[in-house]
Amino acid sequence: MTSRGITIAGYVAFVLIGIGLHLLGRTGRSRIPSLGAVFSRAMRTRSGRVGIVAGWVWVGLHFFAR
Amino acid sequence: MSGRPNGWSFCGDRVRSAEQRGRLGAVNDPPQIPAGARSLGADESPSRLRVVTSGLFAAIRDPVVAILLLAGLFDGLAGNLVHSILLFAVALALGRDAALRRDGPSTVADRSIGTLAATTPWPPAVLILAAVAYAAIVGAFGRYSWPATVAVVAPGAIALVITWGASRDPRPGVAPLDPVGAVAWIGAFVGLALWELAALLLQPSLTTDSYAHPTISVLTDPLLVTHPGRSITLLLWLGLGWFIMER
Repeated sequence: MTSRGITIAGYVAFVLIGIGLHLLGRTGRSRIPSLGAVFSRAMRTRSGRVGIVAGWVWVGLHFFAR
Repeated sequence: MSGRPNGWSFCGDRVRSAEQRGRLGAVNDPPQIPAGARSLGADESPSRLRVVTSGLFAAIRDPVVAILLLAGLFDGLAGNLVHSILLFAVALALGRDAALRRDGPSTVADRSIGTLAATTPWPPAVLILAAVAYAAIVGAFGRYSWPATVAVVAPGAIALVITWGASRDPRPGVAPLDPVGAVAWIGAFVGLALWELAALLLQPSLTTDSYAHPTISVLTDPLLVTHPGRSITLLLWLGLGWFIMER
């Protein structure tokens, strides 16, 4: 496997882990919370809310803006 | 509860009603000092330096402020001025907020989770159509152009202003995460960030892409070259923003 393949496989693995954790959390019978619950908890405070929204804005800037 | 009736106050051992004292009676009374409060003498008054220092530490202790400052620093070093200004501005605003320790009750009504859609004046179908139109139009702009920059900064700034205007108090009723679940999610996010960082550091330089060790940005470049690819990505970005604002 090439270095490129390994690198891409790593990204795919983390995405699959995230989807798996989210689906596990959606069942309600697991100790794993859903992604929405994680965001809700992280956004409980003002700094958490503003920080996460700033991160979202940054993603848009990173891919499209100067 | 002291059991005193409303309109009565203690003044020494005398008890008078507000009506008996007239409208100026309350002005003549000494201020009511809570029993547990201490008076500040000249030697006890907190120095301004101490106040400033403690405020500064309060700001730096906030991990969100620290992360935004570091990200803004490195983005600035990479030559991304607009990104850096955004990150520094948000970090300084949050730092100032923490330093001032505005821990009084909020004057803005608290918002429960998932009520943004209910407070939006337009129905969801109109919002979806607007998002699709936005993605189609802005997707036509070239990447890293000023029109694209303005088109992305505008909704981002609106979202930040709305978020900042919400209550500063921690939301009640949000259950803490199970430690196992928290560790699992933190592990996934940190792992992805480290994987991306490793790919970035394995590039020939920070500004030169690597085919062998592509970052997420490099992998998405072929998609974002085309107008449809940019429009789909913008739509996904808006969707992520909506998901976040709904929390």
